[in-house]
Amino acid sequence: MALELEHANDLVSLTSGELDRRMFSDADIFEQEIVEIFGRAWLFLCHESQIPKTGDFLESVMGRDNVLVVRQKDGTIKGLLNTCSHRGNAVCRAEEGNARSFLCTYHGWSYGIDGRLIGVPGHKAFYGSKLDKAEHGLREIAQLAVYRGFIFGTHDSAAPPLEEYLGATGRLGITLLAARGDMVVVPGIQKFIIPCNWKFAVDNLFDWYHPQVTHASAFNPAVIPPAPKPAEQPARVQIDMAGVHTQSGEEIGVPVTEITGTDFDQMVLVGEYGHAIGGPRVGATISRTASSEHHWRSEPDAQDALGPIGIDVDGHPSIFPTVWITTSAQLSLRIPRGPMQTEVWWFTFVDRNATPEERRRQLRRGHLLFGPAGLLEQDDGENWAQSTMQTSGLASGRIPQLLTMGLGQGKLVKEHGLARIEGTTSEHGQLWTYHAWAQWMRGLSWNDLRAATEPGDIL
Amino acid sequence: MSVDIEPERIAAMLRQFEVERFLYDEAALLDARRFEQWLELFTDDARYFMPIRRTRTRDDLEREFTQPGEMAFFDDTKGTLARRVNKLATGRSWSEDPPSRTRHLITNVRVVEVRGDELDVESNFHLYRTRLKSEETSWIGSRRDTLRRLDGTFRIARRTILLEQTVLLSSNLSNFF
Repeated sequence: MALELEHANDLVSLTSGELDRRMFSDADIFEQEIVEIFGRAWLFLCHESQIPKTGDFLESVMGRDNVLVVRQKDGTIKGLLNTCSHRGNAVCRAEEGNARSFLCTYHGWSYGIDGRLIGVPGHKAFYGSKLDKAEHGLREIAQLAVYRGFIFGTHDSAAPPLEEYLGATGRLGITLLAARGDMVVVPGIQKFIIPCNWKFAVDNLFDWYHPQVTHASAFNPAVIPPAPKPAEQPARVQIDMAGVHTQSGEEIGVPVTEITGTDFDQMVLVGEYGHAIGGPRVGATISRTASSEHHWRSEPDAQDALGPIGIDVDGHPSIFPTVWITTSAQLSLRIPRGPMQTEVWWFTFVDRNATPEERRRQLRRGHLLFGPAGLLEQDDGENWAQSTMQTSGLASGRIPQLLTMGLGQGKLVKEHGLARIEGTTSEHGQLWTYHAWAQWMRGLSWNDLRAATEPGDIL
Repeated sequence: MSVDIEPERIAAMLRQFEVERFLYDEAALLDARRFEQWLELFTDDARYFMPIRRTRTRDDLEREFTQPGEMAFFDDTKGTLARRVNKLATGRSWSEDPPSRTRHLITNVRVVEVRGDELDVESNFHLYRTRLKSEETSWIGSRRDTLRRLDGTFRIARRTILLEQTVLLSSNLSNFF
């Protein structure tokens, strides 16, 4: 059952920028998310390049359902629930591979890669040929669609088409990765489990306030060397750190990096259904580093695909609910396993036409920055886990969660189908995501949900 | 009374003893958090690699582990290992402050090939970690090391770490194997 209108809106306030902390650990709210969000939204499954040949499959996750994403003989893709139509057993135990058929190892029901039931032991002898095989194939997910090679599925047959669901903001988010070249996933998805609520992991992708403290050790020059600087650089405003000390009373110092600084020009884009992008503008990044990471943007195809606003976006896209696309051409999926448990999957992309040196650099970036051993990500999980844990405290859980940075000061400029806010670091991206979350939890019709997540004039 | 043992067997015993002592001393450095000293045990051209493991069917097992050139949990050179060690030394590495409590148990040490100054050594490990109040992680697996003789002791020229996990059952990898 959906949360009542008042109740859902009580959990997230756009006007005060406060959240009810119970949303991060309450078991009933989690169960409702499984129905209202993970039972309806388009969810990322995998990338086309991971299943190139007939029979190639990868087991992905939609809420608590395991889904076999399978390449068909005619080149199309099907999403099949990994559960035998007889008694429910999984018909595939491997996470990826190539199959000619799927066998249930319980009683032997056997299915084609298209899901058709093709063999039932004792069909004549025990069932008297009365079991209609045509009715008992593997169940397909309600809808599956592909955008620029990214495969999504939804459990809701009434969900709008994927491109419409993504909207201009979600499509731009994917394009920011897809337009870099002929992008393919490097074999090997890093999977690991963090004892945190999935929303903390999602929220963090917009959070350009935490790097200088959470990742202070990583931004030490002996750990991640600073990017080379151009000859002329705009003056940098230091973040004020008055009163900020470690437990032993030392000043913690702000490492000077290319992604921190109060003068940093940021852009937050917010869109229907809760998609958003937050982070630096390209112009700001380039004025401060001599980095060549943006050369792909000068290709005419990329310029066309990104459009006049997208070309200047160097922030982190979030496809609601659980996809984060990084500026390092990786995709992080945050799979909810329980109110206080999240499984993270990292997909690393590389251009099929990359030189060996470019490929080596991309893999090195993937190995060093993110994933469980990443110099950055090592330090994220415990923050989210501890934040999650404290929300379950009786008194601690009553303290409002604050997302008030920049509140009421974000003027939305609407151009080229996108709604954007320009300014310094803010919490607009997170607050927008939580606002959309509350609307999803109300169980609205698709039309009403779209209307309720239409960006206004001020955030 | 003299015991008649072939010289090759004596040499193999000595080698086994030297290798085991080296690996145990190495583990002691890690558990004592003497990471700078630990780093010195690697050759300048060292590779430190922990592939990703995938559940695959029996006839597809050659693709169980990712290979060099694909994604891994660790794919480090001595230079990038040094950056990890430097991170721990900053005093701002919050996921290791308060530090994890670790214990490395190294067993089943076998010298599987000798090539002049280089030895291929397999060992099993149990890396036990607790953090904060109740966080507990057990990593069990095997290591395939290439050890190089240098100045009367060894250096690690290559280490491949194979975990008995597919989905990593821990929230990070802030420790060394």
